[in-house]
Amino acid sequence: MEHENKQLTFRVQRYLPGKDKRPYMQEFKVPMKRGLTVLDSLLYIKENIDNTLSFRSSCRMGICGSCGVLVNNFPMLACHTPVEELHTDRITLKSLPNFPIVRDLVADLGPLFEKHRSIKPYRISAEAAEAQEPTAGFLQSTDELHSYVQFAYCVKCGLCMAACPTVASDAKFLGPQPLGQAYRYCSDRRDSGAKERFKQADTRHGIWLCHLAGACSEACPKGVDPALAIQLLKRAMLFDSIRLRKPPAPAETAGPSKETKPRVAVPEFTVK
Amino acid sequence: MSETRLKLLQYITGIGLFFLVGIHLIVSHLSSGEPTAWESVSQRAASAGWMALYLLMLIFGLYHGIHGLRTMIIESIPRLPARYVDWTLIAAGVAIFIYAAYIPINAFL
Repeated sequence: MEHENKQLTFRVQRYLPGKDKRPYMQEFKVPMKRGLTVLDSLLYIKENIDNTLSFRSSCRMGICGSCGVLVNNFPMLACHTPVEELHTDRITLKSLPNFPIVRDLVADLGPLFEKHRSIKPYRISAEAAEAQEPTAGFLQSTDELHSYVQFAYCVKCGLCMAACPTVASDAKFLGPQPLGQAYRYCSDRRDSGAKERFKQADTRHGIWLCHLAGACSEACPKGVDPALAIQLLKRAMLFDSIRLRKPPAPAETAGPSKETKPRVAVPEFTVK
Repeated sequence: MSETRLKLLQYITGIGLFFLVGIHLIVSHLSSGEPTAWESVSQRAASAGWMALYLLMLIFGLYHGIHGLRTMIIESIPRLPARYVDWTLIAAGVAIFIYAAYIPINAFL
C-alpha cells in the first residue's frame, strides 16, 4: 500500500479559556490511510491520543456546516477535506478566525447567527394574514428557482466570514453570509421584504464596506458565491435608491387543489 | 443621507473625475503650444468656463477623496464614534474647499 506506515503530523490549536492565557499548538501523529479526511484525523486523535481535544462535527458529509476549521491557514470543512488533497504531511489546524474561541478548535458562531438573523432570512409576505394562514401555494418557474437557488445552498458554516478580510478588520461589518442571504431572499419572487433587508444592509458597517476581495466565494464549500450575491445586492440597492429598481412581480398563487385530501392528524407519540 | 446614496455619489464623482482630470491633463500637458506659460495660465484663469471646470474638479476630488478616507476610517477604527468622524471630515472638506477655491475665484475676479 502506498500509505502504509506513513505518519501525518497534526499541529492542533489548544485553548481552554480560564486556564490558558492564549492559544498554543500541540503536535499529534496520525497514521495515514486512503480517503482519510481532516475530521477522521481529529476523531482518531480524540479516540486514541487525547480525549480532551475539542472540536465540533455532526453530519460528516458537508451538509451541517459544523466542522469548519482553519486548515493550513485556509478555512475548510474538516469532513469535506481529504488529507491527500492538502499535499503535505504537516497539517496545522486552528479554530476559525474572526470568531471568539469557545475551546480548542470550537469557534463561537454566535456573531454569525446574530447578523444572519438581522437581515430577516425568511420569506416576508406583504399580507400578514396570508403569511400566518396560507390559503394557496406559490407557482414558481424553473428559471425563477435558478435565479436564487445557488445562494440557498448556504449551510451557515461561517467559512466565508472567517475568510473575509473586512470582517477581520471591522467586526461590526455584516459580512458575506448575511449579505448573501439577504440577496437570496430579495431575489425570490415569493418574498416582499426587500425594502426591509435593504435598510438592514444600508448602514455604516453594511454592504458598502465590501471591497470584493472574493475570499468568501473561494472559501465556500457549497459553491454559494457570496461575493456575487453581494454585488447583485449592491446593484439592486443602488437602483432602488434612485427609484430605478423594478421589483420582481409577485409570484402567482395556485388555488387549493380540489383533490387534496384533508390533513392527517399528527399522531401522539406519548408513551402510555 | 443613506450610505447607498453616499456611495452612488462616490461612483458619480469617480466617473466625473475621469473626464475632468482627462481634460485638465490634455490641456496642461498634451496640447500644442505652451499651456503652462504665464499668458496661457492667465488666459484660462480669466475664463468662466475654466473656473467652473476647476471648481467642479475640486468638488468632485474632495468628495471622492474624503468619502474614500471615511470608508477606510470606518473599517480600520470601527470603534470611533460615527458623528465625530463625519463632522471632522466635513469640516476638513469645507476648509480645504475654501482654501483651494480661493485661487481660481481670485484669479477670475
